[in-house]
Amino acid sequence: MEALKYVWEGAIPLQIHLHESQVTTLPPPPPALILAPRIGYLPLLAPLIKPYFSSTLPPGVDTIWFEYKGLPLKWYIPTGVLFDLLCPEPERPWNITVHFRGYPGNVLIPCEGEDSIKWSFINSLKEAAYIINGNCKNVMNMSQSDQLDLWRSVMNGNLEAYQQVSSKLKLAIVEDEYTSLCRSKSQEGFGEKDLAGQVKTGRVPVRLYVWSFSEDFDDLEDMSPVDNWEKISYINRPVEINKEGKCFTLHDALRILLPEFLSDESLSDAKVGGVDVEDTQKVPSEDVSSNKADEDQGQNTNEKPQACCSPSRAEIKLIRIQGIEPKLEIPFSWVVNNLLNPDRFLHICVYLKVSQ
Amino acid sequence: MAAESPSSVRKVVVHLRATGDAPILKQAKFKIPGNDKFAKVIDFLRRQLHRDSLFVYVNSAFSPNPDELVIDLYNFGTKMAGVSR
Repeated sequence: MEALKYVWEGAIPLQIHLHESQVTTLPPPPPALILAPRIGYLPLLAPLIKPYFSSTLPPGVDTIWFEYKGLPLKWYIPTGVLFDLLCPEPERPWNITVHFRGYPGNVLIPCEGEDSIKWSFINSLKEAAYIINGNCKNVMNMSQSDQLDLWRSVMNGNLEAYQQVSSKLKLAIVEDEYTSLCRSKSQEGFGEKDLAGQVKTGRVPVRLYVWSFSEDFDDLEDMSPVDNWEKISYINRPVEINKEGKCFTLHDALRILLPEFLSDESLSDAKVGGVDVEDTQKVPSEDVSSNKADEDQGQNTNEKPQACCSPSRAEIKLIRIQGIEPKLEIPFSWVVNNLLNPDRFLHICVYLKVSQ
Repeated sequence: MAAESPSSVRKVVVHLRATGDAPILKQAKFKIPGNDKFAKVIDFLRRQLHRDSLFVYVNSAFSPNPDELVIDLYNFGTKMAGVSR
């Protein structure tokens, strides 16, 4: 729960430059420094940004859009995801360019301010509900005021308000393997009964952004920036959590998401890893940190063979979820319960080195 | 929506259904490569219906963003129907 709070409070310092084609005054205006919420969307910052530049803009109608190193930024991707995806080496402040004219309609779908973003957000939520429950009745039957409250909670980064409204959606929760372990230990049988009233599911909606490349980089900073969205594969596949006894890890989830890249060899490797994790769980230990250390070791020992045994496929160079670079051995249920975006999708950025 | 052949280039049959004041298409079913983006479906409908303003829903439920792959949408459920206005 605490991690979720950090996710909601997460922000990215932006240094926003006005594109030179829209500067009509001398000297040009200084860049605007703004803290942008991770779970927010760039065009929502318009009221904050406009005052910095309004006196220098040429005559015309405002159509705000953003660009990073020549790439127009898709407004319906949360700001934090854009940052995680497009900055291999996190750049702070993040230098992006704002445009108020010349909307690139061939690259970006039109955005008519807050209404468009709200529509996109609610649709994303519906899509997630569809994946989880097979229908979106609960989202569609939401009252107008609840829908507005939900949207405002996201805009204002108010986690408490969000949880209050979104609990009415009864979107199934995923059992946290770690929590359930603790609960059975402390024998809170009654608490579990309450939870059982909620619907549980194994289907997790995931939006996956894959930046794949074949070059080798010693330093992520040397990577040439993405100048075209075609370079990013955008994959939307639900992950079914397999609860057959073993701990279902982030690595297991990625293998379901990217079967064409993560080969069978890495599958057998992961099985070795799974046994490792099971072994550590058998140790009757209350000490979480020692468990963690064991898992770290497990990861180190099975990551190396994976890199050398499957030269024909791909290697995960980096994975980022909500700005965090989690270890592949982390239980997927923890990731889902703590790093979910307010639209109920798990947004995962993957840097994939593909061998040719 | 129905998929054919399990290969990577498999095609998906999209069944388009009209709602609201959208005109009914003479041909309601189309085959489209699964690796195409949903934007292709929207563009196709836009040309067929000669309308700029268009809302396309999957299973009368949600409107995916244009970047999503048709095959991904197909895999969410078994049926898909486009609805337009």
